[in-house]
Amino acid sequence: MLIDRLLRQGAITELVGPLSSGRTSVLTLCLRAATRRGACAALVDVDHTFDPGSAAAAGVDLRRVLWVRGEGRRHDALKAVDLLARCPGFALVALDVGESAPRLPLDAAFRLRQAARRSGVALLVLGARRVVGGAAALSVRTRHDRLAWVGSGPVPHRLAGMRTGLHVVRKQGAPWSGKAERLWWTA
Amino acid sequence: MVDGLSRLACVRVECFAAAAVERCEPGLREQPLAVVTGAPPVTRVVEANAGARAAGVRPGLAEAEALVRCPTLVRRPASPEAETAARHALLEACLAVSPRLEDAAPGLVHADLAGLERLFGDDTEIGRRFRRHARAVGLEARVGIAGTRAAAGVAARVGPPVHVLAPGGERAALATVALGALEWRAELAATFARWGLATLGDLGALPRHGVGARLGPAGLAAHDLAVGVDRTPFRVWTPPPFWEEAQGLDWEIDTVPALVPVLERVLARLCARLAVAHLLIEVLEVRFALVSGGHHARSVALAAPLGEAGPIVALLALEIEASPPPAAVTGVAVSARVVPRQAVPGGLWRPPVPAPRDLATVLTRLTLLVGGANVGTPVLVDSHRPDDYTLAPFDGHAAEDDAPSAERGGETTASAVAGPLALRRLRPPRPVQVDTHDGRPARVRDASGLDAVIETAAGPWRLSGRWWDTPAWAHDEWDIALPDHTVWRLSHDRLNNQWLLTALYD
Repeated sequence: MLIDRLLRQGAITELVGPLSSGRTSVLTLCLRAATRRGACAALVDVDHTFDPGSAAAAGVDLRRVLWVRGEGRRHDALKAVDLLARCPGFALVALDVGESAPRLPLDAAFRLRQAARRSGVALLVLGARRVVGGAAALSVRTRHDRLAWVGSGPVPHRLAGMRTGLHVVRKQGAPWSGKAERLWWTA
Repeated sequence: MVDGLSRLACVRVECFAAAAVERCEPGLREQPLAVVTGAPPVTRVVEANAGARAAGVRPGLAEAEALVRCPTLVRRPASPEAETAARHALLEACLAVSPRLEDAAPGLVHADLAGLERLFGDDTEIGRRFRRHARAVGLEARVGIAGTRAAAGVAARVGPPVHVLAPGGERAALATVALGALEWRAELAATFARWGLATLGDLGALPRHGVGARLGPAGLAAHDLAVGVDRTPFRVWTPPPFWEEAQGLDWEIDTVPALVPVLERVLARLCARLAVAHLLIEVLEVRFALVSGGHHARSVALAAPLGEAGPIVALLALEIEASPPPAAVTGVAVSARVVPRQAVPGGLWRPPVPAPRDLATVLTRLTLLVGGANVGTPVLVDSHRPDDYTLAPFDGHAAEDDAPSAERGGETTASAVAGPLALRRLRPPRPVQVDTHDGRPARVRDASGLDAVIETAAGPWRLSGRWWDTPAWAHDEWDIALPDHTVWRLSHDRLNNQWLLTALYD
């Protein structure tokens, strides 16, 4: 399963990609997988961009999601992730660092990895570019593949879906074949 | 009356006013302490602890005389708040052992032991349990157990700290107790001495009506005590719906940093009481008595029920810094609304969830870090308006009753549909200028440098709501694709004729 390869207990997975590349949809997929089996997930959202409506439509059980809004304060968001990563019992702790996040200091990144390792939490870091560096066990880049529109005639009626390509950038003992994966998302 | 079946315990804290002060300042336990009242030069001792009594300090002495008898005597003013809090603390500690209690007097609790032997063991073990719970809330108690409250009360005053009188043998046991071992009013003690009475047995051997005729109600009560008979009904104490702890201050405090250690001590005592009763704090109210005679109250609703003083003190400190007392503080009282501590066993087939204690601590720290309004679980509002949601307190166990569903999504192959496309919201929405062609968006620009031809636009979807009310809204929504491969949700506010980028497909 894709989710099992993406989320590894006690390790950091990094999901990077430009806007509209599908990385938020992959995050939603991970939240759904965690909450649908009865576990709790936490999302630290630096730029307050999480959309509960589309998450619920994707099947995420919102009652099991702890949402922490960073309101643009990256330092506080990092502290929040550190706290959550040290709390055993969360199946998934996700950090959405936003679009222009600087790279994490090396000590902070390895501190996060150590915290996740001790508590057994799967830590997912989402951003436009890599910020965790060598502390991540797996880094996956999402790429906009194609869009599909529905409608006859010169103008479409609606957006039908989007295809995302997943490419492994770094893997450290992660069970990933190295072959690019493609995912279809329906709008 | 002794029926040979009922067993009652008397839990007694000696020198209660001094014990209440020691509970607030545990360092005083090792020193001779006198609780005094009245303004100098007529300050008098109202209570003294064991150390002070050993040096000859007795209630009723003038402060100056007490100091002559014990030069190292520590004096503290009587604190009704501390005594009330200690009285409740003792009752609550006893409540953890027996559900039927009687609040007989400050520092004196009677407990019905019916049925407890099956839970806790014999009378001695129950007595030890009372003492342990009392010690947990900062009070050193003596326990007497007998068939009546009177006999148990005498047993609590004399003998070992846990003194059990065998069923049916109460009167014989009481008969050997010296009258001097108990506290009597001075005139009563003098009369007993004049009559040549040395033990309770001597007093009990006298005819009751004769003692009553000569000594009045006080004599009758003394005779009942001597023979171990209860004449009054057992008045069951009902715990209050809120829990309070208070401390008066010897000096005025006018800065917030100086208040924090006081709050810490008061909350630590409250949390110790709640821990004994298996309760957690849900809402906390702190009330400061001001030097001006007024009060300043603040209330803190916790993100999750807590039983530890540390995180609550941090929250209270923030609250007080935001709204400091308008005058110097002379007393602190905290009152808590509580909820039962829940043991969460979980299910064998369920994934683990955060332990309530860990979760409560993490939520409190997160609240301190990013603010209470930014921590919670999203709840969708039943509305057609896009992005309409609220945040509710997160409870990891709230959804436990629902069976987890099998996860079928995420098993993807090269051509599989993984799920719906997610949105990233722009909060607040980004105002843009849009050129239209044939009523459809054709070009989008904004002040930050965005200037792009819209490659594809799908829509509009017309949404509106609350047209019957003042915050009416009406939008036309479009999905637009730009040349940089980004796909946005564009909204046209029909009421204000404004174009907004509200979300991004990602």
